[in-house]
Amino acid sequence: MFIQQLVNGLTLGGVYALIAVGYTMVYGIIELINFAHGEIYMLGAFLAFSFVTMFNVPFPLAILLSISCCALFGVILEFIAYRPLRKAPRLAALITAIGASLFLQNIALMIWGGRLKTYPKGTIPEIFKSALFYINDLKIAFCQYYLQFNGISITGDVRITLLRGDVSVSLLQYNILIITIFLMFCLHILITQTKIGTAMRACAQDKTTASLMGINVNRVISFTFAVGSGLGAVAGIIVGVYYNAIFPMMGYTAGVKAFAAAVLGGIGNIPGAMFGGFVLGIAESYGAGYLSSGYRDGIAYAIMILVIIFRPSGLLGRKTVVKV
Amino acid sequence: MSDTILNISELSKFYGGVRAVDDVSFDIQKGEILSLIGPNGAGKTTLFNCVTGLTNPTDGRVILDIDGRDKIISSKKQAFKPVIKPDRINALGIARTFQNIRLFNTLTVLNNVKVGRHALTKCNFFGAVLRSRSQQEEERSTLRQSIKHIVFVGLEEKILDIASNLSYGDQRRVEIARALASEPKLLLLDEPAAGMNPKETSDLMNLIRRIRDTGITVLLIEHDMKVVMEISDRIVVLDYGKKIAEGKPENIRNDKKVIEAYLGTD
Amino acid sequence: MPKRIPRYTISFFSKNQPVFYGLLLLVVFFIPFYSFLGDFHERFMYISIMSMLYIVLALGLNIIPGFTGLLDLGFVGFYAIGAYTAGLLTLKCAALGPPWDILSNYWVIIPLAALNGALWGILLGAPTLRLTGDYFAIVTFGFSELVVLVIVNEMWLTRGPMGLPGIASPGIDLTFLYPITRFFFENPIVYSFKGRVPFFYLILFMMIVTIFIMNRLEDSRLGRAWFAIRDDEIAAECSGINIMRYKVIAFAISASFGAIGGSFFARWFGFISPVSFKFWESILILCMVVLGGMGSIPGVILGATVLVSLSEILRQVLEPWPDLVQARYALFGIILILMMRFKPAGLIPLSRVKRVMSTKDETILQTMNESFFSVSTDRKKLSKDR
Repeated sequence: MFIQQLVNGLTLGGVYALIAVGYTMVYGIIELINFAHGEIYMLGAFLAFSFVTMFNVPFPLAILLSISCCALFGVILEFIAYRPLRKAPRLAALITAIGASLFLQNIALMIWGGRLKTYPKGTIPEIFKSALFYINDLKIAFCQYYLQFNGISITGDVRITLLRGDVSVSLLQYNILIITIFLMFCLHILITQTKIGTAMRACAQDKTTASLMGINVNRVISFTFAVGSGLGAVAGIIVGVYYNAIFPMMGYTAGVKAFAAAVLGGIGNIPGAMFGGFVLGIAESYGAGYLSSGYRDGIAYAIMILVIIFRPSGLLGRKTVVKV
Repeated sequence: MSDTILNISELSKFYGGVRAVDDVSFDIQKGEILSLIGPNGAGKTTLFNCVTGLTNPTDGRVILDIDGRDKIISSKKQAFKPVIKPDRINALGIARTFQNIRLFNTLTVLNNVKVGRHALTKCNFFGAVLRSRSQQEEERSTLRQSIKHIVFVGLEEKILDIASNLSYGDQRRVEIARALASEPKLLLLDEPAAGMNPKETSDLMNLIRRIRDTGITVLLIEHDMKVVMEISDRIVVLDYGKKIAEGKPENIRNDKKVIEAYLGTD
Repeated sequence: MPKRIPRYTISFFSKNQPVFYGLLLLVVFFIPFYSFLGDFHERFMYISIMSMLYIVLALGLNIIPGFTGLLDLGFVGFYAIGAYTAGLLTLKCAALGPPWDILSNYWVIIPLAALNGALWGILLGAPTLRLTGDYFAIVTFGFSELVVLVIVNEMWLTRGPMGLPGIASPGIDLTFLYPITRFFFENPIVYSFKGRVPFFYLILFMMIVTIFIMNRLEDSRLGRAWFAIRDDEIAAECSGINIMRYKVIAFAISASFGAIGGSFFARWFGFISPVSFKFWESILILCMVVLGGMGSIPGVILGATVLVSLSEILRQVLEPWPDLVQARYALFGIILILMMRFKPAGLIPLSRVKRVMSTKDETILQTMNESFFSVSTDRKKLSKDR
């Protein structure tokens, strides 16, 4: 049970981490809590779903389209709602963000209706899982060899069973973990090694000086939103497939929890957000497992409140520097 | 210590490696106008902040004389000892103005000054809602006293104007009126003449003299040497956080160390 | 002689302000009698009651951003606390004999709910009010979510998602005055609220009291301290204001108004459940405050009335499409965005309120004349006269 919760927690945590990174990047660069980020995540799930079910787009293409659309939405959102308020007091920007969130949630409600959406059988999972399974074939073979060597067997082609059957890791969970870690690794490379990444870090520290150095600050901010939204969309798609339940309110709870994760790691700090995401996922998993499951969401809220009161800079962070 | 109103003793404030205030000691005598001068960054405003409780010194103490007894109002932060916060220091009789004018921009001049009387009044929620006899009396007194101080600085014509609409010089005077309204024993003025033309400056000097004549001690940070030389009883000079000279204006004017550090006239 | 006695003229509107408000009150007072509205009358009554309830709530919330400059996203938490306090006391205490059954009396519940709200306001405020704006907003939000979670999960107390049905309507029980009234009326005077009309007058009364309290607070030492904190915390602190204390007081008062509104809601609707206390209620009320103008009392009243009416009209209009009914909040989202972009000060901005609506100027002018007189006759004594 203990390890199982750990596995579940890591999977959940990976998803939170993806969303949290979006929050933290935006806060680091324009000091705004993008309330609407949760809605982008939700749109990612919905768009992928719609592309697959309504337009019969093959799933991998649907993923790409959804991510691109959400990145675009993020940029548009910033342009319309946040950019005009760059110089306004923080209160105004915060209220605008809330308004945007409210608007997007209800638009989704209008377009797709309130009922739960599920992927019809056969639209993805096999393609999705088996494609990655194919790519992971080598890895699985290696794991198989290694695990067998240690007395652990891999059963079927969808589950990995460890520890004499006490723990089962579905291939989907495994894939999610691989995807999230891979994406975060890519993000790390982006932030540290590329020119635009350095520009992002510069803007997060001091926008005026960055612009004096020739950086187009507006472009960088748009790019930040695009990246954050794209990652959020991936998280949405993953959750849509994993739980096979998509509904307009999903952005709300996930958004809050991911925000708690970002705060936990230190808002403005990208590795902090990743770290916070995993910690929160694990904490929630254990909490729901060992304490009451009704208070599952409450764990995130409680952690958030406690961190903000006692250690506002988070476990890892200083808000001013987008350090990696 | 009977004539000293404030004693600053070995005061230091370090921000990491930066020594904003470095082992500064001097006294302020009752009823005098003491000017604190020095090049930019010499630590003058930091010293003000230590005196008024906005920051805690890294070392040293600030001692206020209250009716003959001494009270340490600022000292190194120690565990389990509560620090004295700025509002308490205001109640003890120290008021200040700020380098970049800090007014309550959405309030009228009158209300700005009324806020100054906060520490001298005590009505709370129930008094406000129920308008008890004592509350009404207190409000009337606040009004009268505020008007008196507004007249004192010469702003009676603009009394109901919103503070943000006033000219820079008038805003300065509102700030001073607000500080005076708290009936301080010691008034700290942080670059009051900044940004003023010669006429406004000379009006300001008269105002400061009149303030001193009412019995209030004045501690002044100022860059305008003309002002400093003309109205100060004594001058303290800081440079890089250290006190480099102290004395009467004519002595300071000729002090080698001061001239070396800076001496601009305008 | 002093330079000049200031010449401030008082506008026509503010001079006749009492007349204007008196007329408005008269019109509103007789709403239950406007049967000429026919079918619409019932609907109109409902909208009026809801509007007034939300006015009370919005005025309560207004204290935080309007007077202290912080943002409270968790107001619905206090609303819920008030509602459940009222609901639980009414349901559980009626069965117990005297003296405990007095607790199911609404007139006793109102102050109790207010106190409970204030208590939680202080508990939440004390550790959090020193945070910066963003963090404070988030923490308040977390708090309200936790409140709802507790309500949903603690079934033994609140029956969770099933809610509390059958909350009795308030009543006025003057049996204890029977020894006197028996000379006038045969039976003891016992009146129980039935139908909408008594609730209308009850909430009207509560609204008037709330407005009254808010106005009094504005022009008082407490109100000035709050405005000072909002405009410049550092200057306020150096002028002798204990920042934390006043922030906590503001929060506690705001919370108690939320709780009072909640108690009315519980006894009026008769049924409360966690569904009515979602986060979006907080946002709705915030929307009213923002739309009307943060800190401005007439603005908030207008904002609340407009939004409640809008919400009901949209509900009516969109009835054929059930999904759209819920989605009408999309419009509110747009309103928030547009308001912040184009008119962040609201429909009736605070500055305009302060300039136009202040009849207290006359008293000030009088006092000034007196002062100037004494100043002119004895300018020298001014310095010694403390």
